[in-house]
Amino acid sequence: MKLIRSALLFLCLAAAARAQEIKVGGIFDLTGITSDVGKPYAQGVRDGVAWTNENGGINGKKIRLIDVDYGYKIPEAVAAYKRMTGDEKVIMINGWGTGDTEGLKAQVNQDKIPYVSASFSAHLTDPSKTPYNFFVGPSYSDDLRAWLTWVKEDWKDKQGKPKVAFFYGDNAYGKSPIEAGRRFCKDNGIDLVDEEIVPGAFQDATSQLLNMKQKGADYGYINVTTTGVSTILRDAKKLGLATKFGSNPYGFGESLPQIAKEAADGVTGIMVDVPFGENVPGMKRLVDFHKKNHPDDTHDTFYVRGWTYVLVWTEALKRADKAGHLTGEGVKAAMETLRDFDLGGLTTNVTYTPTDHRPTTKVNIYQIQNGKLVKVKQYEMERRPDWLGL
Amino acid sequence: MRCGEFHTTYASDMGIFDTRRARWVLGAFMVALFAVPSFATSYWMDVANRAGIAVIAAMGLNILTGFTGQISLGNAAFLAVGAYTTAFLAGHGMPFVVACPVSGIVTALAGMVFGIPSLRLKGLYLAMATLAAHFIVEFAASHWDAVTGGVAGVSIPSPRILGFDFSDDRSLFFLIIPICIAGLYFAKNLFRTRVGKAFVAIRDQDISAEVMGVDVFRYKLLSFAVSSFYVGVAGSLLAYQARIISPENFPLGVAIDHLGMIIIGGLGSVLGSVLGAIFLTLLPEILRLANSAAAGSFPGLIQLFTPLKLAVFGLTIVLFLIFEPDGLADLWRRIRNWFRLYPFSY
Repeated sequence: MKLIRSALLFLCLAAAARAQEIKVGGIFDLTGITSDVGKPYAQGVRDGVAWTNENGGINGKKIRLIDVDYGYKIPEAVAAYKRMTGDEKVIMINGWGTGDTEGLKAQVNQDKIPYVSASFSAHLTDPSKTPYNFFVGPSYSDDLRAWLTWVKEDWKDKQGKPKVAFFYGDNAYGKSPIEAGRRFCKDNGIDLVDEEIVPGAFQDATSQLLNMKQKGADYGYINVTTTGVSTILRDAKKLGLATKFGSNPYGFGESLPQIAKEAADGVTGIMVDVPFGENVPGMKRLVDFHKKNHPDDTHDTFYVRGWTYVLVWTEALKRADKAGHLTGEGVKAAMETLRDFDLGGLTTNVTYTPTDHRPTTKVNIYQIQNGKLVKVKQYEMERRPDWLGL
Repeated sequence: MRCGEFHTTYASDMGIFDTRRARWVLGAFMVALFAVPSFATSYWMDVANRAGIAVIAAMGLNILTGFTGQISLGNAAFLAVGAYTTAFLAGHGMPFVVACPVSGIVTALAGMVFGIPSLRLKGLYLAMATLAAHFIVEFAASHWDAVTGGVAGVSIPSPRILGFDFSDDRSLFFLIIPICIAGLYFAKNLFRTRVGKAFVAIRDQDISAEVMGVDVFRYKLLSFAVSSFYVGVAGSLLAYQARIISPENFPLGVAIDHLGMIIIGGLGSVLGSVLGAIFLTLLPEILRLANSAAAGSFPGLIQLFTPLKLAVFGLTIVLFLIFEPDGLADLWRRIRNWFRLYPFSY
């Protein structure tokens, strides 16, 4: 009898604990073509959630992260989404890729599920079209615009225009900023001489590079993830090209000089988040968590990115919970109350309003100098209304 | 007491149901099937719908490969043709009752075009020719942006019939399952007709079929058309169910999956298509449940899930080929007979 009673008590307590839980979905790429950067990001999100739960949770409520590896396949993400919203009843989702996020945008709007994803696609920034989509950092389009601005400043031969080439993957992520880049080149006196499309996963970029060489590009922007970027850089070095390369926030990080070695020297890239271990106030909890739980692992900027995402949406959850609206709509509304929200220097402060989901337009450009990541410039792009959603 | 199955007339030999009990069992199954939406969660409705669509697609492939003996690796391509036709038509305001059958017809025509090489090619060579169909369609799907939306994909509005909006999986179930049942009923009857017998004759020995007066090429093309019609309808339903389709919905793996379904279910068997499709749709779900149950104690497992799925799929096919070459349909038949003839089976 006593046993039964204690068992019942335990069940009741367990049920109570469950009720105090906030379910959040996680759609990550651990095995697909972007897993090189997807794995550290997912680790960052998981650790961020664990840290939040250890430090008071959401006003005392624990977060349960229900995550899945979707292998960078849109249909898998759709199935995972249906499972998370239908079966698990998650309140919001921390997603990953551009293709799947853009594919699900109508669905998340219909279901009122805030979808904070790692895709910085500018197509997700216009709340009149995608009210439930958020990300943490400048958009891919602003990244490319900032890099093109840097190109103009770097270009010494004032007689001729700089010639630029774009390299991008044959997917929604690769193509996301290209139209914005084309228009920016046209309006700012930059010659876009070549666009080269690379497959999702590739081991060789020689033919694309030879095409680019023929068109005489002085600069090249590579919009693929780090593994692909290093393949392109190494092939370019093999071919002895003098083109100056730049890369996007998923193609540039600590791992790039490690994989591409000297081929990476002088390459510029966008860093949305600081490198792991950088001396900024917000880094302490990451380093402490790392020392406590897995001191032998190495981490990078993508790991930091995972943390910044958790810091942003847990703040929204806290605000929604305080307001008594712990629902999809409530979390979205709470996200839109974040003004110049301080992330302790891990990334630029973010702001979301009901009419503009561009979190920031400040873009940091880093350069690899002797194998080290060095910050060279910060640009603040204009918040032009006609750039919203482009 | 029964101890075997004896037919005394041709009519009973050709009958769909060999016993009266089979009729009752099927009826009870139907009732149970349509009761599913009243208790299943919306995710399991999604699984049920995907299984229904897979049944139609596997049935289509079984008509071509299992009954007519024409091996095809183009099923994912035909699925894509059906899905993109629906996306195009629905995007231009066509209602479901038009878009779905038209998708089937368009796919049937595409199937006939890609079936032309079957006049000259057999076996492995035909497999390569249909593989070419796959890559052609895949290329068109990723680069014909105006129709297919390219790699970013295209979204499809929810189907409407007489003002009723089938916007979620629970309501779609009542659209997909009846179409599935109608398709199976047609297929079951097809093989009791002259056309169906011609298909089987071609599979068993194409030269003797020709000698007996079967126009081999005509019937091969017809088989491609009927098969592709099924797959096209499945593609159309897939588009309506997924609501967003991109070339990633139709990798070669889907064609292999469908072949796996009919091998595991049973080549040349309507019941086999059903059992195989359901089995292979549920397999990853069961693995996932087992995986998430074990993930508590072994967090590393989540990373292994995707590769594990493929390994289990491969292993299942090999085991079936060795131990159950006639598939689940034959296994089912044996179990049924054992119970029916118990205890005196000869």
